[in-house]
Amino acid sequence: MDGELGYLFAGFAVFWAGLFVYLLLLQARIRHLTREVDRLEERLAEADGSGPPPAGSPR
Amino acid sequence: MNLARRVYALRWVALPPLTGAGVLAMLVGAVVAAPRELVEGDVQRLMYIHVPSAQAMYLAFGVVFVASVMVLWKRDMRWDAAARGAATVGVLFTGFALVTGMLWGKPTWGVYWQWDARLTSTLVLFLVYTAYLLARAVSDPSDEQAARYSAVYAIVGFLDVPLIVMSVRWWRTLHPQPIVARLDPQLPDSMLAVLGISTLAIFLLAAWLILLRTDTERLGQRLLGLRADVDRREEA
Repeated sequence: MDGELGYLFAGFAVFWAGLFVYLLLLQARIRHLTREVDRLEERLAEADGSGPPPAGSPR
Repeated sequence: MNLARRVYALRWVALPPLTGAGVLAMLVGAVVAAPRELVEGDVQRLMYIHVPSAQAMYLAFGVVFVASVMVLWKRDMRWDAAARGAATVGVLFTGFALVTGMLWGKPTWGVYWQWDARLTSTLVLFLVYTAYLLARAVSDPSDEQAARYSAVYAIVGFLDVPLIVMSVRWWRTLHPQPIVARLDPQLPDSMLAVLGISTLAIFLLAAWLILLRTDTERLGQRLLGLRADVDRREEA
């Protein structure tokens, strides 16, 4: 009975832990990509001569 | 804006709460509401994760198949992002189906693994699409030729899916025959209801993850385009 519950717990734990780790990794990747895209857009704006938008201005 | 676009625009508003509610219902159903199976005992409750994970695996690789066909047909890299996004989710759910199946198999069959047709063909699917993801990871995401070769590979790899589905009918396997996908489902109504709720919840979860991952892949493609633009401007 105890062993049986151990397998049940292990199955649910693998599922939720796997999902949690996957979402954490995905969130880190989205954050990194978003930061890079913002940085490059600013550099493009600078290269165009318009410069980055002033702080507080609507984007 | 047509209806499909309006529905698609609502994905980040509708999917997370729907998925959360579905997953909560799945947990309560699987652990509390579903009756204890008489022969296998409580470990049979793994069915409410194992079976929907396998269904989500078919869904995700079905999306990979369709998106890969569209890559070859339309030559549009947005479909490549969808194929890669769905492939990661497919590999994730294949891993869940394999591991939960092994943990269910040990107390019921006496072994974690058996090289029978269903288990082996599912492992092959896992390896085929892991190789696909590795190949895409080392190639440039905006490389159209790599996308086309990968699309052909993904389409050929999908041939394993009907083999998995039919394996329990064509060969003698340790894995049981279908008990739900038939005209007279061999499950009590209470178990069938919980399995239905679990399948719906996992499908919502898989759909949300596929969309999230696809958007991430598109963001990666946009980043490469921006890098190329910045390099061109700064060289000029």
